[in-house]
Amino acid sequence: MAALLTIQDLTVAYESRSGPITAVDHVNLELHQDEFLAVVGESGCGKSTLGLSVIGLLPKPPARIVQGSIQYKDTDLLRLNGNKIREYRGTEIAMIFQEPLTSLSPVYRVGDQIAEAILIRELRKRGQSTIDSEFMQRTYKRSARQLKRTARVGHRIPSDLSEEVIRYLKLVRIADPEQVLDRYPFELSGGMTQRVMIAMALSQEPALLLADEPTTALDVTTQAQVLKLMKELIRKVRTSVLLVTHDLAVASQVADRVVVMYAGEIVEDADVIDLFSNPMHPYTSGLLSCIPSGYKDDSELTPISGSLPDLRSLPIGCRFAPRCPHAMAICSKQNPSLIQQDNNHKVSCHLYGQQN
Amino acid sequence: MDSKTETILRTEDLRKYFPVRKGLNPFSRREQRFIKAVDGVSISVQKGKTAAIVGESGCGKTTLARTIGLMTPATGGKLYFDEKEITEAKIDRNQIYRNMQMVYQDPESSLDPRMKVAASIGEPLYGLMRWDKHVVNEAVDRSLQLVGLSADFADRLPKQLSGGQKQRVAIARAIAIQPSLVILDEPTSALDASVQAQILKLLLKLQNEFKLTYVLITHNIAVARYMADFVAVMYAGNIVEYGPTRTVISRPRHPYTIALISSAPIPDPKTRNLLQTEIRGEVPSAIDPPLGCKFNPRCPFAEGICTSSNPPLQEISPEHFVACHFVNKTA
Repeated sequence: MAALLTIQDLTVAYESRSGPITAVDHVNLELHQDEFLAVVGESGCGKSTLGLSVIGLLPKPPARIVQGSIQYKDTDLLRLNGNKIREYRGTEIAMIFQEPLTSLSPVYRVGDQIAEAILIRELRKRGQSTIDSEFMQRTYKRSARQLKRTARVGHRIPSDLSEEVIRYLKLVRIADPEQVLDRYPFELSGGMTQRVMIAMALSQEPALLLADEPTTALDVTTQAQVLKLMKELIRKVRTSVLLVTHDLAVASQVADRVVVMYAGEIVEDADVIDLFSNPMHPYTSGLLSCIPSGYKDDSELTPISGSLPDLRSLPIGCRFAPRCPHAMAICSKQNPSLIQQDNNHKVSCHLYGQQN
Repeated sequence: MDSKTETILRTEDLRKYFPVRKGLNPFSRREQRFIKAVDGVSISVQKGKTAAIVGESGCGKTTLARTIGLMTPATGGKLYFDEKEITEAKIDRNQIYRNMQMVYQDPESSLDPRMKVAASIGEPLYGLMRWDKHVVNEAVDRSLQLVGLSADFADRLPKQLSGGQKQRVAIARAIAIQPSLVILDEPTSALDASVQAQILKLLLKLQNEFKLTYVLITHNIAVARYMADFVAVMYAGNIVEYGPTRTVISRPRHPYTIALISSAPIPDPKTRNLLQTEIRGEVPSAIDPPLGCKFNPRCPFAEGICTSSNPPLQEISPEHFVACHFVNKTA
């Protein structure tokens, strides 16, 4: 499988009054064509920062890319300037966020918002393979004008466009798409707005879909529906996915490969079946045994002791060592590096021998 | 009375309606509408046990907890605590709070940011119990120790604590007065997985030590299974299934419970239950819920009767109650 996305030695820091906080620290990651990759970790582990740096949406400042490269197909996304990255953002690389209500515009009807996305895709297809910023500006103005004009005449978008919008709403299984078209985001439920977001993201037929906690704000029954839908559609449009989640159970249900992050570093990277049946890093196995899985009278939880380290004053050596039940002398001296163990199972832990 | 089945808390047809604000027009003829957050709930909680109330957002589980905790007056129905009715207007709430405490979801907002930990934990000891200073200080130290925090946390401010530590302080405050009942409203949903496990374990330890009774509000089936002796499943203001945890989780009979349990992701890539679920639709609006059984638009077994009458809870096996017209179809 060819790598679609290669992240090399990526380090991202946030400037703060008490000095830089390294949120992502020397991360190496590959995402293959047609792969569903989940990045799992607890709050502050750097998983969202990793996702945002791929699509160039990090707030800079305070964020700063210290070093590294993000190779997408043949381009280093980090070398692109603001206008150039826009050719990729939303089109080649689409993103779904955690809060669908804050990522949709509250003042446009959802039909118009999806129509705009489709309009841009169509314009892009017609000859303009590279979108310069001027073109984007023009397109945006034109579609905004069009939407404004159409809004006056009974909120109707051109019929061929609206058919396309309805097709996408049907694709994400929204009941009565003709009605939903004319609604504002606040009139829809959380599950429906997230479906609209997915419809918008997939209408671009992106090669890479970033999903940052897409179902965390949803209820379990809705989460199940949305994840099932995502999984089906991704297969249909052949999109690779980078799913950022805090929920190991969700990752186990949908992903092909799982990357576990802790305090800004990748600690384990393995095939999903392999990771759950044979977790190698003590943090991964600790996280797994933190998930309550039995009844009150017949099961015992074994929580990881201690709490997440402060990124400002990280422990020397392995960052997990102070909480690790298997910590050895070397763990508090030297930070292990991520090393390939057996087929496609990488782990960063002194327990498994380190090369020098 | 047999201590095993002693009931500490009982509700009878408990209801809580919130009026929907009318528009600006004072002459509007639109009739007053209500959000029926809790719409006729009858449960009983046994002493020393944990009853979990499980449901999705908007099902009324938090309102039920707040109504039980007397934070908001009930619209109708009765509430008994230690065999005494506590829904009456003249009830001395301080008396009740000496035996009933609450732990909230968000420790960030349930602790006063300007109060040191010792002051937060000590507040109910002075205010409710009217204890002397040295007794309070002792109790504060003891509760801190019980929740696994060292004594030097007493002088810290909430902003100097992590999320898990804050929740420990909130728990310490709740147990410091040695109540018999603690209402836990999503005590771990704001916490990370590794911290959640610590807090759940702590709660079980405290329960064993002090024979506490818990009413646990949660949306997380796995948490309910691990913590509770009894589970009540709530949907749109009603309890649709109630029974011993093992029975409800392993042999659910209400179609909603079945959907809820099969939608909860399990951490095993070999059994991908999530991708097989068949549940459709979403939780209905609490202002205009569907007529009849509120689950009927989403239910695979729904028939004519389901749209006309709301089924009552019936005991289908000892201690196992289900509110469904077609409960025999789900066996």
